[in-house]
Amino acid sequence: MIEPLDTILSLALLSILFSFGSSFLPGLIKVMAFQGIIVSIVPLFMGHDLSTSEILFTLVTMTIRGIVIPLCIYKAIKKVAVRREVQPIIGFNASILIGLGLIIAAAYVSPKFDVPSISISSLLLPTTIVLLVGGMFILIARRNAIAMVLGYIMMENGIYLVGTTFSVRALHIVEFGILLDVLAAVMIMAIILQNIKKTFDNMDTALLRTLKE
Amino acid sequence: MVESIILIPFIAGWIVFFLPKTTGRRILVITGVIHLLLSVLLWIKRPTAILAAYFAVSPEGLLSLSVISLLFFLISIYSTAYLKAAEIQSENIFTGSMLLFLSTMTMVTLSDHIMVMWIAIEATTLASAPLIYTYRTSESLEATWKYVLICSVGIAMALLGSVLITVAMDTGKVNAPVSFSGLTAVAKSLDPQWLKAGFVFILVGYGTKMGLAPMHTWLPDAHSEAPSPASALLSGVLLNCAYLGIFKTNKIMHAAGLGDFSGSILMIFGLISMLAAATFILKQTEYKRLLAYSSIENMGIIAFGTGIGGIGVYGAMICLIHHSLIKSSLFLTSGNILQGYRCKIIQNIGGLVYRMPRTFIAFFAGFVAISGFPPFGMFIGEMFIVMGAFRNGHHVGAIIFMGTICIIFAGLANQIMSISFEDSKRKHRMHMVGKMLWPQYVLLLTSVVFSFWMPDTLYMTIVEAITSIGGGV
Repeated sequence: MIEPLDTILSLALLSILFSFGSSFLPGLIKVMAFQGIIVSIVPLFMGHDLSTSEILFTLVTMTIRGIVIPLCIYKAIKKVAVRREVQPIIGFNASILIGLGLIIAAAYVSPKFDVPSISISSLLLPTTIVLLVGGMFILIARRNAIAMVLGYIMMENGIYLVGTTFSVRALHIVEFGILLDVLAAVMIMAIILQNIKKTFDNMDTALLRTLKE
Repeated sequence: MVESIILIPFIAGWIVFFLPKTTGRRILVITGVIHLLLSVLLWIKRPTAILAAYFAVSPEGLLSLSVISLLFFLISIYSTAYLKAAEIQSENIFTGSMLLFLSTMTMVTLSDHIMVMWIAIEATTLASAPLIYTYRTSESLEATWKYVLICSVGIAMALLGSVLITVAMDTGKVNAPVSFSGLTAVAKSLDPQWLKAGFVFILVGYGTKMGLAPMHTWLPDAHSEAPSPASALLSGVLLNCAYLGIFKTNKIMHAAGLGDFSGSILMIFGLISMLAAATFILKQTEYKRLLAYSSIENMGIIAFGTGIGGIGVYGAMICLIHHSLIKSSLFLTSGNILQGYRCKIIQNIGGLVYRMPRTFIAFFAGFVAISGFPPFGMFIGEMFIVMGAFRNGHHVGAIIFMGTICIIFAGLANQIMSISFEDSKRKHRMHMVGKMLWPQYVLLLTSVVFSFWMPDTLYMTIVEAITSIGGGV
């Protein structure tokens, strides 16, 4: 059961690199949907014995992270027909290079941490670190408001991975509450985005500069 | 019974979305009264929750809950008059969100499970976002966007921190419920490295929501763009809720013997926040933003006091309670000024004492109170913090603390004097309805009363709360 997990985690790492390189929003949303699905099925391949309720919960997570949230954002941009570019502050080639550097650095530091469940796969900890830092990188390096929301989702994916794999005592009802919060946050952000588009006729966050000091 | 305090405003909030405006206002006040009565009942009976794994009545939670209840009741009365005077497009969304906001904040004060705490704090962000966007202007939109994005990303850090604490349990091979009370009991056997990492992430995460610098950037925008009753709630109680998350984690740190580590980080964040507030207050041009920066200062004071330990923690708790009372009254008063002058810029406002004398009394008294003068309670709290700092040997910290308070007082005084006494074109008296005045008077009076006479149960509860984080009188 160890090898499929490695494959899945490598796919997650690849999805991060793809997201750093995507220049158009629909593509970026698709990459994030793929990442959402990949990350939420990781618990199935951890090698624990799973009860029916656990499998059911994983499927619900997968639906919300992989389908509902991306669809919600996709609809938001379709409805208001925004510009499709992600408006990078740091260029795409440089971003991908930074992404590669990040993966190497994460792989280098992760053996230094003492986590009991790390022995399952040596890719687990690097992937979570890259997801967390990569999400933050997108938040900083893209000016488009939707790309920023997607960065937030990537961070959340990273936290989900830490929560479900490192700690075995997660309660599903609590996990579900967290998921609902994230879903509601993304929906509220989508509503704000539509209003930003209506008010400013653009989604460039550089326009949001009137309030200072 | 414990859960009903969360559920009643929650249900009321959803109902209000579908009701006509005036009924919504009435339900707002009625829910406020019920909530207040239930909180009083909690003081008398201290029952255990039905879902005991997730909710519990802790002394610090009870204190925060009572402040929330009292403030919400008074703010709801103010709101009925405010809503009548202000033209708000979709009032149902405003009143409904106020009630949902109350429900989520109540959930924060009563939650005992680490993750439920996080869920509740994130839910406060979501419930209050529509409140900031009430006026539908481009500025309020910008403020809402910053609020939701910065707070959600910040609070995601706190979620990571909470997860790291469960990792500390795994590494230390501890088997206990993931609740604050459960973890405090077994804190000694948790892995200290992971626990420290978890605390830092939680402090940064909830610190973002609490308004600690340098994560405070959303706060002035949100507070200045929200309608005054909402700003009063944001500043008066939301910041306390975020502090509660830090307080409870700090409890685990102290039980694990890592109190010095958490204390020094809290002190540094506290002083940075005070210094940041001082620099921005001096050149501030809008009065609501001025008040918002003063909130950042006060959160800094509270974090600093909590970090010192000993009598300083007692001072911090006193500051926490009185800041809520005073700052919410100031924000409500700022709503009156906005109605009288239709302007947020300090320069365009003057002669408040002639135009709105009764509002002026509340405004000026609030300013005296928040600057830490007797007979108001902030004075006592700040005194205790300074005493605690010197007693525990933090001389440099204490000097920076006093210095910044003086600078902030000078900055505030300059602006408030100009609002109150400067010449203005608009000199004729303006009438204000009583409902938009007496809630502020009651809040300020409560602060005066509590600084002279503190009921024994209140005193005992504060002491009970602070002994677990190294505090004491």
